Amino acid sequence: MSTETIILALLVLAVIIMYNSLISKKNQVDNIFASVDTQLKKRYDLIPNLVATVSKYMEHEKTLLTEVTRLRSEANNPNLSDTHKINLDKKVSSALGSIMVAVENYPDLKANENVMQLQGTLHELEEQISAARRAYNQAVTDYNNAIEMFPTNFMAKAMNYRAKQVFEISHNERQNVNVKELFNS
Amino acid sequence: MKKLSELTDFYYKSLQNPLQSLEKEREQLRHRVLVVGIIYSLFSLVLYFFLFSYSFSDLTIMFLFGYFALGSILYKFLITDYTKEFKEKIIRPLITEISPGLRYFPQKHISQKKFRDSKIFTSKVDRFHGNDFVDGQIDSIALSFSDIHAEQKHKNSKGKESWSTIFQGLFIVADFHKHFKGTTVVLPDIAQNTFGYLIGGWLQSKNISRDELITMDHPEFEKEFVVYGSDQIEARYILSHSLMEKLLNFKKRSKHPIFISFTKDSIHLAVEYNKDLFEPSIFRSLLNYKIAMEYVQTLHLCIGIIDELDLNQKLWTKR
Repeated sequence: MSTETIILALLVLAVIIMYNSLISKKNQVDNIFASVDTQLKKRYDLIPNLVATVSKYMEHEKTLLTEVTRLRSEANNPNLSDTHKINLDKKVSSALGSIMVAVENYPDLKANENVMQLQGTLHELEEQISAARRAYNQAVTDYNNAIEMFPTNFMAKAMNYRAKQVFEISHNERQNVNVKELFNS
Repeated sequence: MKKLSELTDFYYKSLQNPLQSLEKEREQLRHRVLVVGIIYSLFSLVLYFFLFSYSFSDLTIMFLFGYFALGSILYKFLITDYTKEFKEKIIRPLITEISPGLRYFPQKHISQKKFRDSKIFTSKVDRFHGNDFVDGQIDSIALSFSDIHAEQKHKNSKGKESWSTIFQGLFIVADFHKHFKGTTVVLPDIAQNTFGYLIGGWLQSKNISRDELITMDHPEFEKEFVVYGSDQIEARYILSHSLMEKLLNFKKRSKHPIFISFTKDSIHLAVEYNKDLFEPSIFRSLLNYKIAMEYVQTLHLCIGIIDELDLNQKLWTKR
């Protein structure tokens, strides 16, 4: 076998490895995003129940409740892009957070069994969503690194792969919710 | 949970009487051990010269091996009663003082099945023993731990047997406060510390005896540990940022390598000491602060994990 053949074989091998690694990184991102999406849907499904329960008590937060309902119907649109979903998630998280803070102002509501149950489920879901977000961000980081670093960046350009957006991890999430405080408050 | 300083007080104040009487026994025992040791050594020396008359050969090594083996059996036999008494009078009250809900069995240990099911160590275990088993509930969280020594048998090309230690130290099992289905294993990061980030990371990702490599988003944790898991999301659900910080603190406090796994709704922690713990020392005083602190601190560390890792803060769905 001549030297040229060996070099050519090695080059082909390198291209195959780069191609496969990029595909597997992209699939990893897609897989994990699917899990994030499932978790987010579970949270969206909780919203009507939550709104129905708290709206009887909450007088001053009507706009907040309408906003959450609107965001939910927007999220139910089947043709959303991933970036759009990421942005929606941010808005929903902050709106739900505000509702939970507002609940504190209504003693009747705070003591309501149904609300407590909802709070518990929501909290558990938030933890799972947070884990899914972190997994997604890691997968995206690996993917983004691969498409920006030499030599896979040429391959990625040829395959028309673009950098993806990560979820913003809020300061609260890094701090982690103290369950005890949540339930004892 | 009692503080470390309270326990140290308890050790020196409430246990003063048994300590004093044990200390007397220890001095007598030390004397006996020394006398028996000298007689045994002299006898062996005479026997050696009688048998082999000054010639050194392979038999010398065999003889030395026999000398040490028999010697250690003799030593163990001599200190049996004292060890038993020490565990009943010192270790048992200490455990009850930390938490009255715990039971202590000096002769038992964590089962080999539990050790294997933890999936922390993947090597085949050929010899498994341990002692000082503690179990019970604290804040309705099940906790058990014991001393464990797991070994593996090797045979070289000549068919000669040898044993190597897989793990020796404390093995702790406790209920975990979150639901999960798969397995997540957290090990000391040896590869990245030895070979650097790139090569070490590549080696870690090629570890075939483990599940998928999981990169955590906590730089300090990532530097100390390497995480393998069956599910990328579940591993992060278990290892929240606050738990990672708590595990880092636990590692700093224990001052020994720790191996952790989360499987079957439990957390397993293996703290590698490479020695048998909770054993009395014959040649050092029980009143010695360093010796005392070793018993007190180790017990405090094991029983304290429920508080330290917040395992008693159950999630809504697990209430």
